[in-house]
Parts: sequence; C-alpha cells; structure tokens
Amino acid sequence: MKLERFRRRTRAWGRRQLFSLFSSLGTLMSHRAGTLMTVLVLGIAMALPVGLYVTVKNLRALDLKQEQWGTITVFLKTEADQDAAQALNDMINGRVGMTSDVISPAQGMAQFREASGFGQALDMFEENPLPWVVLVTPQPAEDVPLEAAVAQIEEWLLQQEDVDLVQVDFKWLQRLAGLLALGDALISVLTVFFSLAVVVVVSNTIRMDVANRSEEIQVLSLVGAGEGFIRQPFLYSGFWYGLLGATLALLLFNGCLFYLKRPLEGLLDAYGNSFTVHNLDGVGVLFVFFAGGFLGFIGAWVSVQRYLRMINTDGMLGRF
Amino acid sequence: MITFERVTKQYEGGTAALRDVSFHLDPGEMVFLTGHSGAGKSTLLRLILMLEKATRGQVVVDGNNLTRMPMRLAPKIRRNVGMIFQDHKLLKDKTVFDNVSLPLMIAGLRYQDIRKRVRAALDKVGLLSKEKAWPLTLSGGEQQRVGIARAIVGMPPVLLADEPTGNLDPELSRDLFGLFEQLNAQGVTVLIASHDLALIRRMGRRVLVLSQGCLADDIAGADLAGARA
Repeated sequence: MKLERFRRRTRAWGRRQLFSLFSSLGTLMSHRAGTLMTVLVLGIAMALPVGLYVTVKNLRALDLKQEQWGTITVFLKTEADQDAAQALNDMINGRVGMTSDVISPAQGMAQFREASGFGQALDMFEENPLPWVVLVTPQPAEDVPLEAAVAQIEEWLLQQEDVDLVQVDFKWLQRLAGLLALGDALISVLTVFFSLAVVVVVSNTIRMDVANRSEEIQVLSLVGAGEGFIRQPFLYSGFWYGLLGATLALLLFNGCLFYLKRPLEGLLDAYGNSFTVHNLDGVGVLFVFFAGGFLGFIGAWVSVQRYLRMINTDGMLGRF
Repeated sequence: MITFERVTKQYEGGTAALRDVSFHLDPGEMVFLTGHSGAGKSTLLRLILMLEKATRGQVVVDGNNLTRMPMRLAPKIRRNVGMIFQDHKLLKDKTVFDNVSLPLMIAGLRYQDIRKRVRAALDKVGLLSKEKAWPLTLSGGEQQRVGIARAIVGMPPVLLADEPTGNLDPELSRDLFGLFEQLNAQGVTVLIASHDLALIRRMGRRVLVLSQGCLADDIAGADLAGARA
C-alpha cells in the first residue's frame, strides 16, 4: 500500500519533470535570437579560463619533457686532461638519476664553429682554448622536481677537484616555474570571476524570462502549482543555457587551438623541440559541461527564488 | 464545507475589507455572494483560495483550518478549489486543451488520463470542438467556459466564481448559471460572487449579502422574492 503510493508519487514527479523539461526547451526555442546571444556571451566567458588552463597545462608538459633545459654544463679546469674528464664522467654515470657525456675541446670547437659562424675568427687561435666539458643530464624520479635535483647535483659537482665552472640553464627553469605558478593563480582568479559572470548572465536572462511569463506564473499559482512546479522549467532553462554555453566555449576553444596549433608547433620546432600541443582531455571536457550546467542552474535558481518570494508575499498574487 | 468564523481582514493602511464575517456552507450547497463593488466579495474568495490570510477569525475549507496553515501549503489547498475568474485568466500562448490541462499537469497525471479528463471537462462546457483553438480566437462566453473547464477538470469539491457573468450578455449568463447548477447537482459545493441581482433572484438559491465588509444578510433560497416555485 505504502509502496504503491510511493511509486505513484515518483511517477507523478517524473511526469512533472518531463513537462518542465519540454516546457523549458520550448521557451528557449521560442526566442532563438535572445537565446543565441546569451549562449554566445556564456561561451566566450567560459572559453577564456579553459584556454588559459590548457595553455598552462601545455607549458607544464614542456617543462617535464624538455629535460635538456635542466642540462648542466661542467667546464673542467684547463689543466685537466681526457682522463680526468673520463673519470668524472664515469662517476656521474654511476650516480642514480643522471647521465652524462664528455665533450672534448676539439668537439666543442667544431660545434661552436658550426653554431656561431665565427669560423674564421676561431682560426686565429693557435691552439684550442676550450677545456674539456662534461654535459650532465639529470633524470630525476617522477616525484622529485627537476629544479631540486639540478640544485643538488650542482652542489656536488662544485666540490669535485677538476671542476672549474658549473653552468645551469636554471634561470630558465625558475622563470618557467614562476610563470606556471602565476598561470595557476590566474586560472583560479579567472575561474572564480567568470563563474560569477556565468551565474549573473544566466540569472539576468532568467529574470527577464520570468518577467515575461509572470502572467503564466500567476495563473499557475492560482490553479494550485507549487513553487517546485513553477521553478522547475526555469531551472532547466538555466541548465540548458549553461550547457549550451559550455558547448560553445569548447567549440570556440578548439577553433582557436586549431588555428594556433600549426604556428605554435612550428615556432617550437625552430627552437629544436619536437612538441605537440595538448588539448583538453575527456575529464576536462566533462568538467566544463558539468560546470556550465551547474552554474546555469544556480543562476536560474537565484532569479526564480527572488520572484517567488515576491509573489508569495501575502496578498501579492493574482489580484482579482 | 466552508466555514467562516468571525473573520476580519484588515489591509495594511487600515481599511478593513471584511469585518467579523461568519457563515457556513454545507457540502453540495450552491450559494451566491453579492454586494456592491468594494463590499469585500473578492477578499472573501481570496481567503478561501489562501491568497491571503485572515487578520482575525477562522477560515475552514474542507476540514482544513487555513488560518493556521503555513503559506507553503497554499498550493495544496488551491488544488481542491476550482476557481473561475472574471477575466478568465487563460494563457494566451497555450491552446484551449493545454489551458484546461494545467491543473492535471500540476498533479502529474499520465498523459492518457489528462487527455481523457480534459476532453470530458470540455465536453461538459460544450467546447469539445475547440480543444485546439487559441483562447483569443474565442468569444468572451467561450473563454469563460474554458475557464470553467479548467476549474472543474481536477474534480475539486469546491467551486468558486468571481463575477463569472461580468462581461456576458443576459442569455449567456443564464446558460452559465445553468451550467453551475448542473455541476452543483453532481455534488460540488458552489459559491458565486455576482452582482447580477435579477439573475440571482431567479435562481432561488441561498444568498449572502456583503455590505462594507460586513455580512448584511443571509437569505435562504426559499425566501427569495420571485423564487421559482
């Protein structure tokens, strides 16, 4: 008996939801231009944080992949010979988490000649002024930050007998890390502001919807509709706005990415990095949809609730 | 079915719309409520619909004491009272069928049941052929009957009407009151606010007379001059 009643109520609830769903879609479709404008604004508002998020994500991938930016160049003292270089090299290779290579003065000269274009000037040297060099590449374990690993190795290297100078491309790393931290902070700030913007835009749109349909709302109230029944279609509308906005945001973002991908990869190739641009992953896409729908829902809730409070004040409803 | 016990409704600003009004309607009664404009007819109906709350006294409808009930339960009360408005209060952007089906949509009935009951209600008011029409394409009398169909589709035990013949010519008004009589004959308690005294007299039903917020008279149907034999 009780179960039967529960089932009947659940079904009635489901039917009301269905009614609200179609009613809300009908409203969106009935003023398409307005809907489109709102969705456009929402799409742009949501595309910005998404874009920044993916940018930072790509930079981070860059950081992890391009270990050569963490490469340490160890210049030995001029009096150190090949044996000393080889010994140091063996020692480094024996340590966990790094590999190294020896570059002889002759090799160094050849590379420099090629890369710098100072070939003729170099011919003026009677003997090769370059010292032996050991190129160390740290390969820290997953959980150790590259910067920390590099700092540690640098310290150790400086204590070695034949080492004259240790040069780290470290500033680069520090700057990148700083930029990434800034990017993260920026994402947080942007996300908060643009979420607020989405709520406000949807709330305002729904407020106008509600005002346009105030007559309908009053009639519904007069024939016995509860707050839930009145609220529901607007909440669905808000949800649709948010969801459509999220869809547009993803489309806009992917459009931009498609347009920027080629030049970006070309640019990075020129710097000698083979690099592919990462897009938002599946979880990210789902999150954008979810966030859009949820924020739209909240925006609608704010507006409808305010209106319901107003008409439910004693005596405000349906003057006749 | 409807009991008012020393009901006073005072609006902010001081004027009392109803003063110390008491009466009782038995289930299945059909009663007219009359008085000049501003006498408090609408306020009385609004109290039964829980659109407002009495300042003092008790309003009891179908066993529910509305004065003690929280406003959030008002929709539940309204679903048990069919209300017919002078200006019909139909939704212009919905067909006749959709307008009439609103109370059933709110109740969450199955579409098949809604369809059946809406058609039955429209049939009762003689508008079955107009179910797909838009309200604005109908005459005033037809719109009023759509309003009645909407009021009775949920089969409420109580039917209220506020000046239902306000904009209708005498012949249509008579038809409409005939319709109310039919519904009343099926056991529905009917309370009609009207100032069409000639017609009220002809109906020979009990009449409540409001004057400046007070219940001035409560005339039994049999006592009406010109009542049908």
